[in-house]
Order: sequence, then structure tokens, then C-alpha cells
Amino acid sequence: MEFKDYYKILGVERNATEDDIKRAYRKLARKFHPDVNKEDGAEAKFKEIGEANDVLSDPEKRAAYDQLGKDYKSGQEFRPPPDWDAGFEFSGRPGAGDFSDFFESIFGGARAERHHGRTHTTFRTRGEDHHAKILIDLQDALEGATRTITLRVPELDEGGHVLVRDKNLTVQIPKGVTEGQSIRLKGQGSPGMGGGPAGDLYLEIRFKPDQRYRVVGKDLYLDLPVAPWEAALGASVKMPTPGGAIMLKVPPGSAHGRELRVRGRGIPATPPGDLYAVLKIVWPPATNEKARQIYEEMAKELAFDPRASLGV
Amino acid sequence: MANGEREPMPAEMIGSASVYSLEELCQTCHVEVAWISELVEQGIIEPEGRSPSEWRFSSLSVVLAAKAKRFDRDLGLNPAGIALVFDLLNEIERLHARLNVLASARSSLAEQPDERPPLP
Repeated sequence: MEFKDYYKILGVERNATEDDIKRAYRKLARKFHPDVNKEDGAEAKFKEIGEANDVLSDPEKRAAYDQLGKDYKSGQEFRPPPDWDAGFEFSGRPGAGDFSDFFESIFGGARAERHHGRTHTTFRTRGEDHHAKILIDLQDALEGATRTITLRVPELDEGGHVLVRDKNLTVQIPKGVTEGQSIRLKGQGSPGMGGGPAGDLYLEIRFKPDQRYRVVGKDLYLDLPVAPWEAALGASVKMPTPGGAIMLKVPPGSAHGRELRVRGRGIPATPPGDLYAVLKIVWPPATNEKARQIYEEMAKELAFDPRASLGV
Repeated sequence: MANGEREPMPAEMIGSASVYSLEELCQTCHVEVAWISELVEQGIIEPEGRSPSEWRFSSLSVVLAAKAKRFDRDLGLNPAGIALVFDLLNEIERLHARLNVLASARSSLAEQPDERPPLP
């Protein structure tokens, strides 16, 4: 197990005051909060910051950590000495249970005791809901799909220790989900207490980037290459859609970047989204005699100044 | 709790059907009534019904209230701050999606490498 330098994680000096630590934590927590920062790794970083703050903001834990950690450097192989924590008393934080092995090896036992005291209840209560994110392909939302997901679930063993267990769930993703939307799996949250029903599991949907379509809400955007004469004169061109190819009418005089809407061909939500073709004018290269001749003719015959608006 | 690999579990789409009472929402999110009332006051969640005893919340409210709770717990934000963060996050999301569309159309214009004469 690697030694974690909680001071380094929060970017504070070893002699930082409580206020310094609080400020550093708040700043990093805002930056890496998984509801704000969508980047990969933000969630792991946020947990690490939370763990560092949990230790350093608590004078008892900080004292214990300082004593234990004075001979260690970040990343160094760490082995807690036996009975090292005699003389320290910790009070755990409810709702935690997702801390690193390093944290558990130092403060784990103390946290578990607290759980012992909390399990005796005569109330019949519904289990807690769980919230997680799931990354799917756009195709899954367009057609519906069955996907197996793995969740990391903290659980208590007989000794009251917190264990993180992998839980596999096979989920039917409904057709028509959109990014940012949540889906619910009934009864897949925490078990209830005193015979109460289990909580639910909510999964927030995120899409993997798609090669062809870009997603805006329930609308899809597709870059559609057209020839200059198709854009200038108008044409019927073949374009792909999630439901199969269609013929799209390009109006005469269309400019590069013009967006043409195909109603109802977006994500099949209720009501369904639209599909937009974004025209991309592509010029044939003047690499052969015929093409060069046509370009030369255009240069000669057309009174066209593309830089007229620049006034030069 | 175990779910075999073979039988897929149907997931419900989170909808606007209003099914939860105020007490049920509080219980499911582990929050107090007063706190939910503040979220409603800020327009973060919008129940059907006029008075708290008539309020009915949708499953979307559960997701939003849970997210709001995380901002409260992790960042110490109050409901007014949370409402602002929600609005800004939605706006950022919308702009990002839009930027994605524009960035792609733009890149096709700039496929030729820039030719810049050396500065004198």
C-alpha cells in the first residue's frame, strides 16, 4: 500500500492552519466536484480530496496522521505499525465508506465501531437511494440496449468493517434516453431496515462521443459534405440518418454551415428530437487538366470578389 | 439483490409523472421537510399541487434533490446558490454541445494548413 501525502493532495504546508486547510479543500472540491467537472478522473480526485480533508480537518486524526507519517514520503510503500493507534480516539463520519485502503488501514477500525451503535433501530425505514453515472453509446439510446454495468458498493461485513464490493447489474436501457437524463432501477439501492423496502438506484446517462452524430439535447447534428454546385444550384442528396438513409433537399444558394432540419429523426424521445444536416462545402481539387480548365473559366467569367467585404 | 447476468433488469425512464408526497421525497433523499420547501421556493424542483400537503413530486425531483443535497454536503452551498449553479451548469452544457457542432463545421474550413509569411 502506498503512503498518501494528504498535505500534498490539498496543496498545503505541513504547518497549515485549520483555515488554510478548509480554504484549500473548498477550492479543490469546487473544481473537482463530479456534478460540476465532467472529465474522467474528477470523481477519483474528488474522493481523494475528501479523504485528505477528513483527516486533516479533524485535530485528532491529523495528530495521529502526523505522528505516523513523519518518516514517509508520498507514494512510498506504507505498512501501519501494529497497535499504532493506541491513545487516539476517532469519531467517524456517517455516510463515508468509500475511502482508500490507506485510509481504512489507519482509521478503519474506529469507523466500524460507530456503525455497530447505529444498526439497532426498531424503525421500519426505506433503504437509501443510490446515484451513479453510466456511459453508453448513442446507438444504445437510439435503439435501446442491454448493458452490464459494474458498481462499487460499500458494505459492512460481520465484523463491522467497510468493504467495497463489485456488483454487476444487467440493465435494459430504454430507447430514447437523452444525455443528462436519469433512469431508475427499482429496489437496487440500499436494503431497507426493519422490513422496509429497498431504495432505488438512479443512473445518470452520459454518451460516449459518436463518430458521426453530435448530440445537443435530443437533437442530432451531422456534417453533410456537398459539392459547390449542389449548394449553389440546389440538389437532392443522399444522407444517413439513425433510421436509414434518406434524400435531403438542399435549397439553391445554400452557404457553408447552413443547418437543414430533418424533423423527428433525432433521439426517439417523446416527442422525438430532430436531425440537423450541417452543410459542408467540399471543393474538387484542381489536380487534372479538366478541373483546372473549369476553375480558370470561373475565374475569368465570374465577377466574384470573395474579399469584397474587407474593403481592400 | 443479486441479479443474474442473463435476465436484464428493466430501467424506468425518469418522467414527469408525479408520484411522491413531500414525506416520501424527504425519506427517499434523507433530507428534512424545510430543506425541500426551500428547493421548491427557489424553483429547483417543481411539485404539482398548491400547498405542501398537496404537493406531488416526480422522480426527476428525486434526482434533482439528491444532486442539490450533494452540493450542500460537499460544497456548503445554500439553496439560492444551488439554484444558480444548476442554471449555470445547464447553460454550460448547452454551450458545450453547441460548440461541438460549430467546432466541427469550422475545422472543415481549415483543412488547409495556414501559410504565414515570415515576419520581417
